Amino acid sequence: MSAIVCSHVDKAYGATTVIRDLNLAIEEHEFVVFLGPSGCGKSTLLRMLAGLEDISGGEVSIGGKVVNDLEPGDRGIAMVFQNYALYPHMTIFDNIAFGLKRQKVPAGEIKKRVEAVSRTLGLEPYLGRKPTELSGGQQQRVAIARAMIKTPKVFLFDEPLSNLDAKLRNHMRVEIARLHQSLKTTTVYVTHDQLEAMTLADRIVLLKDGVIEQIGSPAEIYRRPGNQFVAGFIGTPNMNFIEATVGRKGDGWTLTGAGTVLSLEGSGFHLQHGDRVVLGIRPPDLKTANGSAGNILQGTADLIEFHGNDALVTFGSGGKEISALVPARECPELRALVRYSFDEESIHLFDAETGKSLRRQQVS
Amino acid sequence: MRRRSSLPVTFLVPTLAILLVLSMVPTLYAIVIALQNRELSAPGYSWVWFSNFADLFSDRRFLNAVWVSVKWEIVTVVATMVVAIGLGVLMFEVAGPRLRNFYCLLFIIPVLLPRVSAAFVWKFAYHPLYGIATYPYRLITGGLIFDPLSKPGSALFAVASVDVWQWGLFFAVIVLKLLETLPPQPIEAARLDHAKRWQIHAYVTLPMLKAPLISLMFVKMIESLRSFDLIYVMTRGGPGVATETLDMYAFSQGFIESGKVSYASAMAVLMMIATVITFTMLWKRVQA
Repeated sequence: MSAIVCSHVDKAYGATTVIRDLNLAIEEHEFVVFLGPSGCGKSTLLRMLAGLEDISGGEVSIGGKVVNDLEPGDRGIAMVFQNYALYPHMTIFDNIAFGLKRQKVPAGEIKKRVEAVSRTLGLEPYLGRKPTELSGGQQQRVAIARAMIKTPKVFLFDEPLSNLDAKLRNHMRVEIARLHQSLKTTTVYVTHDQLEAMTLADRIVLLKDGVIEQIGSPAEIYRRPGNQFVAGFIGTPNMNFIEATVGRKGDGWTLTGAGTVLSLEGSGFHLQHGDRVVLGIRPPDLKTANGSAGNILQGTADLIEFHGNDALVTFGSGGKEISALVPARECPELRALVRYSFDEESIHLFDAETGKSLRRQQVS
Repeated sequence: MRRRSSLPVTFLVPTLAILLVLSMVPTLYAIVIALQNRELSAPGYSWVWFSNFADLFSDRRFLNAVWVSVKWEIVTVVATMVVAIGLGVLMFEVAGPRLRNFYCLLFIIPVLLPRVSAAFVWKFAYHPLYGIATYPYRLITGGLIFDPLSKPGSALFAVASVDVWQWGLFFAVIVLKLLETLPPQPIEAARLDHAKRWQIHAYVTLPMLKAPLISLMFVKMIESLRSFDLIYVMTRGGPGVATETLDMYAFSQGFIESGKVSYASAMAVLMMIATVITFTMLWKRVQA
């Protein structure tokens, strides 16, 4: 049985539609990440699951029960907010215990459960303090404790790490992953950070303008992006896009664009002579070329960004900026002529008009 | 260096001097008079030192006035805060943004009315035969007379209601604005934590607003001390001495009944000392 099912869900503020006919099923014990640029409706969708926003159309069910008209407290969920949303006038103990007190749980049991939860999260020394006396990471841990203690059916995280500095963010990300491993509670996590999404998710739901662009495991979304938007959004440094025209040549195909002609076997893609397409290559898939055989992209290196292990080389080819991520020892001089080759397996082709991937569905 | 150090002096000395003259001279003069036996009917006087104060404590009407003042203070402050918080929370929960603006405008009007005008309006409203406030009672009982201002038991509350009508409604607007400044997330977190609507306010929003609400209460406490005009217009301290607060009694001792200005000054001085001590203690307690 699915833990959360959204069927034909809409959300509108007056005349503006934020989410359009959204269908999604989240399995039990799954860790699902809603990922997308700001304003794509991912937080709104989460708040609709939580009951903090009304559902304009469609149906949401949690644990097999339709929750459209249920109060947030009655949905069997717990939520962690971006800015922690702790009760500033209460001690940490009272913050964590607040929900249980409202449910009239006996004081002895509350004490036991708060102690157990704070032991898990290492909050024991702080139970008597006020939220302002804690650091950002500790405050977020209190917020997680406050969510955990209710033993919910579903955890909702709304960009929980965005307010933390980079180092603490990594640390907390690992903690959340560990927590999910041990608790196995169904989790929905909203973020705009693809690193968080890739590392935490069982499945990523990629949203844009209130519509799901693609659902899949992090590897699927990275290796087999369904359209140009997904391909451009996922992966750092960003994928190179080169507009090209398809031509037939013997048994194979040619791509003409960015000042070069590339030849492909093309069996993995739906191609037709004269099609306008967009060729996508991830910078790490470009390799320094040794000979003149194969497909070569070349140009003058006009920007070199040193990353430590690697260097990002940006060069112009036929008026198009292309980046290649190469090992730092192969890093060329600035203004040098650079030549990079690629394998046909590593490229992506998209329809220039619809942006849809032209890759043939793999027969499995 | 010299210019820098002379600037504060230039600005502070004249203002402080004016303040000192305006506030200290009458205060000191009142203390001096309180130690004499001046009366309006005769020009002569002599020093009687503390006998005015000693007389006060055996004056039953004075002790009644003290009690009425305390009652007035408690009734008006508590009722104002209850009305303000109740109405403020109600508006926050029920009214949309446009309706809120309308209510805010409506609720500010009473406090803009001068005290004396408000007092006259309500004195007529409480009129036993023609008043609009007593009309429902006449309607229900078939014409029985209800005259809250002339019954010792209800007069104080009837006058206090006017004070609460002015300040409670105004403070409700302030409470609403305070609630609107709160971050929404703790409220949402409380909703997820199974808190009912009233529990959210009782346990989350109002405790978060503790400091501004206490400041509001202090403002009202000070304001309630200055209710002379309201009581003077509505009851003149009556019926009997049922609404005679300390300032009413001092005024009538000093200028209306017997012209004993020294006796009245002694009351004023006592009031000042009591107020200063009470407020200092309350302030310290709140700060701690």
